[in-house]
Amino acid sequence: MALRKNLMEKPGRRSFKELINEFPWWMVIIGLLIGITLLLIFNSPNFNEAFITMRVGISTTLSITLIAYAISLVIGLIVGLGRISSRVVAKNLATSYVEIIRGIPMLVLIFFIALVIIPGVIQSLSMLGEKFIALGWLFIGEPLAGVNIRMISMSFRAVIALSITYGAFSAEIFRAGIQSVHPGQMEAARSQGMTYGQAMRHVILPQAIRNVLPAIGNDFISMLKDSSLVSLLAVRDVTHLARLYAGGSFRFTEAYTTLAVLYLIMTVLLSLVVKYFERRISTNDKS
Amino acid sequence: MHYKTKGEEMNNNSKISLLVIVAIVATLVIAACGGSQEAAPEAGAEVTYVDGVPQYGCLGSADSAIVDLECREVTVAVENAYLPFNYIVTETMQAEGWDYDVVSEICTRLHCTPVFEETVWETMIQQVQEGQFDVGGDGITINDERDENGDFSIGYVNTVMRLLVNIGEDRFTSIDDIAANSDLIMGTQINTTNYETAIEYVPEERVQAFDTFPFANAALIAGDIDAVIMDEVVGLGYQGENADALELIGPAITSDELGFYFPEGSELVDPFNQALESMIEDGSLNEFNLKYMGPTFALTYDEVQ
Repeated sequence: MALRKNLMEKPGRRSFKELINEFPWWMVIIGLLIGITLLLIFNSPNFNEAFITMRVGISTTLSITLIAYAISLVIGLIVGLGRISSRVVAKNLATSYVEIIRGIPMLVLIFFIALVIIPGVIQSLSMLGEKFIALGWLFIGEPLAGVNIRMISMSFRAVIALSITYGAFSAEIFRAGIQSVHPGQMEAARSQGMTYGQAMRHVILPQAIRNVLPAIGNDFISMLKDSSLVSLLAVRDVTHLARLYAGGSFRFTEAYTTLAVLYLIMTVLLSLVVKYFERRISTNDKS
Repeated sequence: MHYKTKGEEMNNNSKISLLVIVAIVATLVIAACGGSQEAAPEAGAEVTYVDGVPQYGCLGSADSAIVDLECREVTVAVENAYLPFNYIVTETMQAEGWDYDVVSEICTRLHCTPVFEETVWETMIQQVQEGQFDVGGDGITINDERDENGDFSIGYVNTVMRLLVNIGEDRFTSIDDIAANSDLIMGTQINTTNYETAIEYVPEERVQAFDTFPFANAALIAGDIDAVIMDEVVGLGYQGENADALELIGPAITSDELGFYFPEGSELVDPFNQALESMIEDGSLNEFNLKYMGPTFALTYDEVQ
């Protein structure tokens, strides 16, 4: 296609119009927005103050996102495998999980998990512990009964909620990835004498994961944005600190502009990192 | 391979467009029909409720008005999650509270129409400053910072801040104790003077700011936090609501006046002040304060959302 275009053009002449069409103006626009805000942050005392108050939360946001995403990938892989499993129990459990989680908005899920499920689990564990103590099995009973809700901080609960939610999305991504690998691969592997598990581990999954890396990278950036919801649990991430600052100083413009641009910077940087890794992994792949 | 004729293609396109139009119209119809439900007004009541919000209509009359506002609509911002100023009663799903009673009494004296609008506390002050609402109720503490970009009425009640804790709490008796014990965590509502005061005593990491007080109270009851700092008049309400679970303890932490909040330069400030002063003179403001902030104010947990 590129060859044809070149043949049709006069050699050495690239029209001005083409340059304008192909230039990544969107990068310029975003770059300007970020640049202007950064200038404001360094020069205007209000913006500066807003940024200094908020930046403490950046590490919280990033660490919550990283930990939650890592856990969600593990959940996703397990559930994704369950989805394609031929065993009835695994398949139905996995499908129920995916459908339920995907059917409830994340805001609702975060509240539900943090305020209903986890306190419920804690209570059941301590009741169980007391039953064990009554039976005389102190070894198990005492630690269980001693479990209290303070052990699972709101941050921890937020991470669990995010992992469970994104686990469902990752499961679907992994499922699609596995199913996109040619069935002949599995047949060939099995005919070599590998078990299902070995075939998965050594042949199918490596290919599947390479296929879905872009989607996984995108989901990671998506979670970075959704991590802002943990602010509702009073977790001190960058969004919560922005809200606190805006509320205390009434400088809503400074607070929220800085917040929006901070997220923009984080997501743009992360997409570049993700693209870099994608390119590296696909150039390693000689197939 | 069958290529669609021009006629067949047009058919498919029009079918799709028709489907889209039908879908949009159906959605709009459902939204419009599923909209406001009017609850039948109780026998003998003067007020109708739409979506649980009382509709007062034009109150008072031109002759008896202290300042005649000629039935103008006065939009009042409320949260409907802040005892005893504005809250929803679960049984009837209707909004009630000090704000509703007092503002409608004020409008009776000013010949205006109060229109209560529910919003979120976090942005309420900003919204009033911008003129989105004519007046902010919701027990707003009068302070200089807020006064810069808005106007306050005269204070209608004095309050102090105290601590709401789980019944039988023995690890601390005051906010200084909490400050001294680094295991203890406080909670309050975001963007309140309660929060500002809390962080004066306790490091910020140990003060959790929730969206609403009921949320903070739920965290208190669950054990996530150890105390909620709030205005005493509000605390009395929540203590009454959860009498077997929560109690107010500790000495007064600060003392503040609460007032109505208006956009800067609003022409409603003076009439409201005059109405409030007449209510102070004839004792009716005191009656309302006793009704909602006195010992007789008692709602069970089931009654209030």
